[in-house]
Amino acid sequence: MTRALRILASNPLSLIGLILVSGIVLAALLAPWIAPFPTHNSAVIDFAHANQAPTARNWMGTDLVGRDIFSRILYAYRISLGLGIVVLVIATPIGTVVGLLAGYLGGWTESVLMRLVDVFLSIPPLVLAIAVLGVLEPTLTNAMIAVTVMWWPWYARLVYSIARSEREEGYVLAAEVIGAPTPHIVFREILPNCLPAIITKMTLDMGFVIIIASSLSFLGLGVQPPTPDLGSMVAEGARYLPDSLWMTVFPGLAILLAVFGFNLLGDGLREVLGVDE
Amino acid sequence: MALLSVENLSKTFQTPRGAVHAVRDVSFAVARGECLAVVGESGSGKTTIANMILGILAPTQGAIRFDDHALPSRRRPEHRQAIQLVQQNPLSSLNPKRSIGASVRLGLDTYGIGDRAGRWDRVAAALEEVGLPPEMRRRAPSALSGGQRQRVGIARALACEPELLVLDEPTSALDVLVQARVLRLLNDLRARKQLTYIFITHDLAVVRNVADRVAVFKAGELVELGETRQIFTAPAHPYTRGLIGAVPVVDAEELHLRNTLAGEN
Amino acid sequence: MTDLLDIRGLTLGFRGLNGYTEVLHGIDLSIARGERVALVGESGSGKSVTARIILGLLQETRTARVAGRVNFDGRDISSMRARPRAALRGTDMSMIFQDPTSSLNPTFTIGRQFAEVMRRREAGLSQKACEARATAMLEEVSIPDPARVLSAYPFQLSGGMNQRVMIAMALVNNPKLLLADEPGTALDVSVQAQTLTLMQDLVARHNTAVLLISHNLGVVREFADRVYVIYRGRIVETGPTAAIFDRPGHAYTRALMAAVPRITGAGLPEVPEVSDDFLAPMVTHPEAT
Repeated sequence: MTRALRILASNPLSLIGLILVSGIVLAALLAPWIAPFPTHNSAVIDFAHANQAPTARNWMGTDLVGRDIFSRILYAYRISLGLGIVVLVIATPIGTVVGLLAGYLGGWTESVLMRLVDVFLSIPPLVLAIAVLGVLEPTLTNAMIAVTVMWWPWYARLVYSIARSEREEGYVLAAEVIGAPTPHIVFREILPNCLPAIITKMTLDMGFVIIIASSLSFLGLGVQPPTPDLGSMVAEGARYLPDSLWMTVFPGLAILLAVFGFNLLGDGLREVLGVDE
Repeated sequence: MALLSVENLSKTFQTPRGAVHAVRDVSFAVARGECLAVVGESGSGKTTIANMILGILAPTQGAIRFDDHALPSRRRPEHRQAIQLVQQNPLSSLNPKRSIGASVRLGLDTYGIGDRAGRWDRVAAALEEVGLPPEMRRRAPSALSGGQRQRVGIARALACEPELLVLDEPTSALDVLVQARVLRLLNDLRARKQLTYIFITHDLAVVRNVADRVAVFKAGELVELGETRQIFTAPAHPYTRGLIGAVPVVDAEELHLRNTLAGEN
Repeated sequence: MTDLLDIRGLTLGFRGLNGYTEVLHGIDLSIARGERVALVGESGSGKSVTARIILGLLQETRTARVAGRVNFDGRDISSMRARPRAALRGTDMSMIFQDPTSSLNPTFTIGRQFAEVMRRREAGLSQKACEARATAMLEEVSIPDPARVLSAYPFQLSGGMNQRVMIAMALVNNPKLLLADEPGTALDVSVQAQTLTLMQDLVARHNTAVLLISHNLGVVREFADRVYVIYRGRIVETGPTAAIFDRPGHAYTRALMAAVPRITGAGLPEVPEVSDDFLAPMVTHPEAT
C-alpha cells in the first residue's frame, strides 16, 4: 500500500489525480459541515441575493432564486459520486460474472453471453439511457438503472478477454488436474488476476458515469429539482448565458475537475497495478 | 504388476484443415515404483498422452487402466487424486495472486484429505518434504526463485498423496545447478514415498540418469520402448539413434558413446 | 591487428524505486576477427544484458547506466551518438535470437524482410539485386527452394526453416560480428543441432566473429574456440574451450560441469546451488599457441 502510494506520487499527473479525487471525495463527504449555506441544497428562496456574481459571501455567485452555487456544487458532488458508486457497484459484478463465465467455460456459454454483450455495446450508451428513462419516470433511481444497464457490458468484455488468456495459464491447468470445482477455478483462481484491471477501469469509469449522469440531468431526464445536480445546474444556467456566466461555468468546471481527476488517478493505478491495455 | 496401463490409445483432433492424428494406437504400461521416460520432439504426441492420462482430454479410442480399474473419461475427484501433475513452467504454474500455501492446499480441500484444522500442518509437511521452509506458505510466488517455485509445484502434487506423478518437462525451464538438485529431489521422493513417475522430456541426458525405461514417440506413434541402459547403448530405431546423436555433450566419454552410436547408422 | 570487440571494465546498473542496483561489475571481454567466443552463464548472470550493450540497445534506456569501454572495430560504442550506433546494427553487427518464428515479422514476406535488411547497408539496392543476393544466401543455408521461401510468410514455414532464414538474414550483410543469443533453444534438439552446424560452416566461410550466449555447456563446447564463464555479473573463468572443459579451475565452473547430466549415465551428483566459493577470483587459462 505504501509502495503503491509512492509509485503514484512519483508521477506528477497521477499525484494531481490523487489530490483532485481525494479533495472531491472529502468535499462531498463533509458538505453539510463545510458548505457556507448548508440549507441551500433544497428549495430555499432568498431573493435578496438572487442572481449575484461571485462575491466574498458567495464565492461562486448565486442562482436565480439566490442559492449559493458553491454550496450546491458540494452537495451535487455527493449525488454524482453516490450515483457513480451505486452504478459501478451494481454493474461491475454483473459484468464480471458474465465475462468470467464466458471466458472460462467457452463453448455455447461464451457464444450466447458475448452475443448479448455485443447487442448492448452496439447501442450508443446515451441513447439507451434516454430510451430507458423515456419508458420509466425520470427519477434518480431510474437514472441509476438506466446508466447501469448500459455499463455492465463493458466490464463483461474486459473480464472476458482477461479470463480467456488466463484460462491458458498453468495454474488453471493445475486446478483442473486436481479436479477443483468450477466455481473455485473461476472465482478464487481467475478472478483475483482480473481485479487490477477491474479496479483501474472502475476508477476511470467514475469520471464517465459522472458525465453521463450530468448529461441526462442536463436533458432533464435525471435528478429532479430542487436536488442539486451538476448537469441540471449547467442546463439551468445555460439559459442565462452570457449574462450570468457563473451559473454555468462553475458547475461545468466542477464536472471537468471530477472527470479529469478520476482519469488521471485511473491511469496512475494502471501503472501501479501493472495492467496492460 | 502394472500400476497404469494404456491400451490402444488414440486421439484425433478435428481442425478446420481436417483431422489431425495426435496419438495413434499407443500401448504401454508403467509398473508400480517405476520411472518411465516419455521422450519425443514437438508434435510427437507426448503432451497429448499425458493429458489423457490426467483426464484433461478424452481419448478418441482406447482405454486407460489404473490399479486394475478402467478410468472413465469424465473423472470424479476420487479418480483424480492418485494421478498428479508437475508442470514445466514454474512461472505460470502457480497463481501469482494466491499464496504458496493456498496453492498447495487446493488438493487437500478438493479431496477432503485430513480435517480442516490439520490441513495447514499437511501443507507445512509437504513444503518440508521438498526442502522448503514451512513459513514459505505465506509468501507470494513472485518472492520465490524458479527452483523454489518448481519445488512448490512438486509439493502441491505430493500433498494430494498421489501414487503416480506425471512430470511434464519438470526441469527444462531451470538452470543447470537448480536442475541437478530438483532431479535429485525427485529421485529421493520416488524412493521414499514409493511413487511411480511418468517423466516427459526432450532431454535425453536427463532421461539417462532418472528413468528405468524409456518410451520414444514420433509423430504420435510409439517407435521404441526399452530399458534405459539398452536404449542408450544399443538403440534399435534410427529415430532414437538420431535423437541421442543430437545431444550436445560435455566430456570425452560421452563423445565416444555418441560417435559409436552414430557409426552404427 | 587489434581485436574486433574489446570490452574493458564494463559495468551496468539500473535505477529503480529501491535505488541503484548494479548487475555487471566490471567485465573484460574480447573477440578477435573471425573468432568464435561463448559467454556461458545461468539466468540472471548478466549474459544477455552484455549482448544488449554490445548492440547499443541498453545505452538508450533511460533507467540503465552503462560505464566502461566497449570498442568495436576501433570505435568506442559507448561514447557514440545514437544514430551511428543504430546504423551498426544489422550491418556490421547482427543478431540471432532464441525463437526464430517470433523474431521475424509475421506481416511481411521473407523476401521483403531480406530487402529491408540489405537496404540498411545499401539504401538504393534494386529489387532484383536484393532477390539475387537473398537467393544466394538461402542456398548457402541449404534451403532447397529459395524462390518459394522468399515469397512465403514466416508462419507458413517450419521452425527449423525460419531458423535457417534468420541465420541467412543475419549474415547477408557480411557482418563482422554475429551475436547469437541461445540460438535454437526454443526448437527441437535435432533442429538445434543442425542450427549449430550450419552456423559453424557459415561463419567460417564468411570469417564472421561470433559471440554465442548460452546456458548449455554442451552447445558451448561444440561451437566455441574460447569461453567466458559469467556468474552474477562477473567473469569467473576464461580460456580456450578445451582447457576449460578439461581442467575447469573455478569452483563455479566445476559445479556447472558436474551438474550437467551425462548420456553415459554418471548419475546425479550432489552440487550446491550457491556457495561462497563461486565468488572466488577469476581463473584465466593461458591462450593456446
